[in-house]
Amino acid sequence: MRSHAAAVAWEFRQRHRLGLIAVALYLLVLATIKLLVVTGWAPVHLDSPESFAFVVMVPLTTTFTYFLAVFSFGLDGDLAARQSMYPARRFTQPVTTAGLAWWPMLYGTVVMIFLWLATRLFALWPSAIEVPIIWPALLAASLLAWTQALTWMPYPLPGLRIIVTVLWLGTIDSIAILALQFKAHEPLMVGILAPQIPLAYVFARFAVGRARRGDVADWRRVFASLTQIKRVLSRRSDHFPSPASAQAWFEWRLHGRSLPVWVAIILPFELILLWAAGDSTSLVFTILIGVLLTPPFMASFAASTVSKSTANPGDAYGVTPFIATRPLTNAELIAAKLKMAIRSTLFAWLLLLLAIPIALELSGTWAVVLDRWRRLSEVVGTPRAVVLLLLILSGCIASTWKQLVQSLYIGLTGRASLIQGSVFLVLGFFFLFGPFAEWIIDGRRLGEVWSALPLIFGILVSLKMIAAVWIIWRLYHGGLLSDRTLVIGAACWSAAVFALYGVLVWLLDTPHIPHYLLMLLAILAIPLARLSAAPLALAWNRHR
Amino acid sequence: MLRGGVYGLVGANGAGKTTLIKHILGLLRAESGSVRVFGLDPVTDPVAVLSRIGYLSEENDLPDWMHVDELIRYSSAFYPAWDDAYADDLRQAFALDPTAKIRNLSKGQKARAGLLIALAHRPELLVLDEPSSGLDPIVRRDILGAVMRTIADEGRTVLFSSHLLGEVEQVADHVTMINHGKIVLSAPLDAIRESHRVDGRIPSLDEIFVARVGTSAAEAAEV
Repeated sequence: MRSHAAAVAWEFRQRHRLGLIAVALYLLVLATIKLLVVTGWAPVHLDSPESFAFVVMVPLTTTFTYFLAVFSFGLDGDLAARQSMYPARRFTQPVTTAGLAWWPMLYGTVVMIFLWLATRLFALWPSAIEVPIIWPALLAASLLAWTQALTWMPYPLPGLRIIVTVLWLGTIDSIAILALQFKAHEPLMVGILAPQIPLAYVFARFAVGRARRGDVADWRRVFASLTQIKRVLSRRSDHFPSPASAQAWFEWRLHGRSLPVWVAIILPFELILLWAAGDSTSLVFTILIGVLLTPPFMASFAASTVSKSTANPGDAYGVTPFIATRPLTNAELIAAKLKMAIRSTLFAWLLLLLAIPIALELSGTWAVVLDRWRRLSEVVGTPRAVVLLLLILSGCIASTWKQLVQSLYIGLTGRASLIQGSVFLVLGFFFLFGPFAEWIIDGRRLGEVWSALPLIFGILVSLKMIAAVWIIWRLYHGGLLSDRTLVIGAACWSAAVFALYGVLVWLLDTPHIPHYLLMLLAILAIPLARLSAAPLALAWNRHR
Repeated sequence: MLRGGVYGLVGANGAGKTTLIKHILGLLRAESGSVRVFGLDPVTDPVAVLSRIGYLSEENDLPDWMHVDELIRYSSAFYPAWDDAYADDLRQAFALDPTAKIRNLSKGQKARAGLLIALAHRPELLVLDEPSSGLDPIVRRDILGAVMRTIADEGRTVLFSSHLLGEVEQVADHVTMINHGKIVLSAPLDAIRESHRVDGRIPSLDEIFVARVGTSAAEAAEV
């Protein structure tokens, strides 16, 4: 390895080989499917929007986001810090600043262009879509180049990087969307996007140069008095009332704010679409559904850090000695995480519930929503409509919380192989879900699936209960939870199941759905096994 | 270990000093045998054991996003015996700015902050894992000074591991040498010195260490 360029390439390849192999395998599977379809070997149809989204768009977006993090060194750095996210260890290498900045950028640009061209070539695109050749590749490459430039720039204030990056990338994205709205042709799109890449390269060289010289302005003193006021206001008492409340505070400060912050960043971009929706009921409700799904969706990303005991993204999954030596039981450490997740969820939803009415009022789309509400009330009656609305809302809120905590039992094991394996398992599930749904719908097997639903639910409930009994037995014999906690937990879970069952029976008052099916659904919906397994996972990690 | 002593744990890199300390703290589960601290198992009863131990980690992994006063406030919640006045005395003695972020402290200042929260609840057992490795002489003096003050004032137990045998010699009254996970020597310091007297000269702990551990370490390297 005799050149800096080769060393940079080797580091990317070596550090991210598992991810790169996964992407290569995905492209290989896409190519194989296309080959089978083109040669007439397999009657696969993936041109419905849902299956297309699952097979192409979800993996493509995930891979794009992954490459964004990899090539901007975003997996190692602190996005909110003032310091550049460019690895400081490289600044002492005998390489020019342009070399430091441009080689990772060049590799990123090439990979993004390759990703698009490969997806375009190998994916089965819906026949109604005219797939562009160049501009999506340029959009991906320019978004990556600007992400690199903006994240490598040192900033005078903590958090400023997030604001600048989101606003600038949002602007580029908006320009591209506007151009598409006005049916811009490919040459125009190329004309808009192509200059972004060299501009970002020049800016990145400047950013890395400043970071290398340690040329970082510090505006924190300007805000020092404000910080002092905030610190005085936030300190309500000198002491925490209990160790549990101290740990809950710790978890909130470490992880709790990320979900509300992410929701607050994304929400304006979603709600602004209401101004473009006009009187279109379907468009308004599509936007609102998207908005309601934002917290659970973002929670699934925020969940990846909730099990960690440190804010340092580069640290391993294990419990730090600082946290492991807190005089708290494993159950108390888990309880602090669960409380943080509740608080984080409620904050995120408070933002949403405040912002939606304001956006509907200002965009003039209240009338559309009220009209649909009146119609629903006429059809099912006002009490049922209100309960349905509350059920959807509480379902979304509960789902957000569940997303945050349901993978704790994996993350808290601290075993990298288990954690990474579970990520691949989830991706694999998403990959298979589209074709499976397509197979059911296309083959008109919905009736068969409906008939088999009691059996499917019965098997799932049996598995859940067997897992829960085994976990509770381990918790009891390991002394990880007291008898009282186990009894209270079981009582609360049963109460939640019966409450949900009652609501479902009242709401779905139809002879077509047997009540026992609703009971099975309620048992499946209320978390039990995975949540109960969290103290076991932590004990395995804390006392290795 | 007897209550009220200062126990020095010495050994080469990889000898098992940190592993032993992790067992005492319940961070490792014994594959064979058993571990008892204050007569309790630290794995099954972490609250009862850890609330009586002050621990300064070699890794010094204090949460770097906290301010010093937040760290003190947070830590005080876990220990019923936390002494606010003593914590404030230590903070002033260690010249720690309460508004400073842990992230912005030097390595020495971080060690002082870690020592503060290990000492301020007046633990029955103070465990220091390589407390002075990589630190300047002033911080080492602070750490050793604090240890000695703690011992002199209240006669509690200290267990500390170190590479710096001169430091151990100054403070410890009982020394345990370990090598490849096994105790090769464990006795009061004075007794060790006396038993290694050669021609009337009392050797230093360095010399005793090389004599007892150096040979087996060299043999292990050859294997």
